[in-house]
Amino acid sequence: MSAASTRRALLGGAAAAVLVAPAYAQGDRTDGELLEELLALEGRLAGAYEAALRRDAIDAGLGELLLEQEREHIRGLDQALRSVGGRSPRAAVPPRELSSALRSRAAFARFALDLEAQARSAYTAAAAEISRPGLRRPLGSIMACEAAHEVALRTAAGLPLLAGGG
Amino acid sequence: MVARVTRRVALGGGATLLIASCGGGDPAPSGGAQPGSGAGLLGSLLALERAVIAAYSASATVLRSDALRLSREIRVQEEDHVRRLELAIRDLGGEPPAGRSAAEYERQFPRLRREADALLFLEDLEERQLRGYLEALAELPELELRTLAAEIGADEGEQLAIVRVLAGGPASPHPFETGAL
Repeated sequence: MSAASTRRALLGGAAAAVLVAPAYAQGDRTDGELLEELLALEGRLAGAYEAALRRDAIDAGLGELLLEQEREHIRGLDQALRSVGGRSPRAAVPPRELSSALRSRAAFARFALDLEAQARSAYTAAAAEISRPGLRRPLGSIMACEAAHEVALRTAAGLPLLAGGG
Repeated sequence: MVARVTRRVALGGGATLLIASCGGGDPAPSGGAQPGSGAGLLGSLLALERAVIAAYSASATVLRSDALRLSREIRVQEEDHVRRLELAIRDLGGEPPAGRSAAEYERQFPRLRREADALLFLEDLEERQLRGYLEALAELPELELRTLAAEIGADEGEQLAIVRVLAGGPASPHPFETGAL
């Protein structure tokens, strides 16, 4: 199954099943707000990998793989957001730390690991909080992918593979 | 036409047998947990966690170097998951089902002759565990329980990626983990 068809099956199917029901998640945020926050994070990640690839601050094969997967997440989230009546947030300004992180591969790996950890944490919260049961599993599926990205970045940087491990 | 049984199919079949056995052989949480509280689902996840811990222990006989060290670290993390699931079941008024002996689990494992066999078996188990937590996200009724499932599920995604790397594969081959169902 291609990435695109998997995305359609996961997020399209889930989104079609839930459509425009009441939008409040079980926290204080609406489902639309949760999805917008995730989209903004994904936008930051994609922007960071694009910049790192341009400046050779990441191995090309790894950078392209991670970038393509973040773009798949963006397409899926965008589809889910539309299904709940939301609109994609405007492109975010790159964080100030990005320019210094682009000076070396080691610095970029640390920067990207921080961003991926933020994304993992945000998906963990959103997958539990979102009110539409049909969207929980797809968000959990991306959450696990972001956790795998952390491992990929640690592998490339020669860091311990398990967070907190030796 | 003669069917060719690949190592992955054989080892994955071992995992399937083990999962089926975990679901059907271990008792549901006893005590005062209400039907629909999620205690039964947590009990199934707990049974699988215990089987996976036994699988990491059994794999230690063929794993070497980094793979052995990391498998021990992952096993410690799985043991923490067991404690968290037991606590959640008790909070719901249930009594967590007792696990089985290592020998009982090992009787259902495929034969692990080499490191590669063990890593394929562990990869399959980690993937099934992750799928279990993602399914639980859609079914558990309370936010607190779903948060627990999401947190452990994220750990399982990380562990799955580590096992893949140890087996020589990419950490993140898919944009949607366990998505291709």
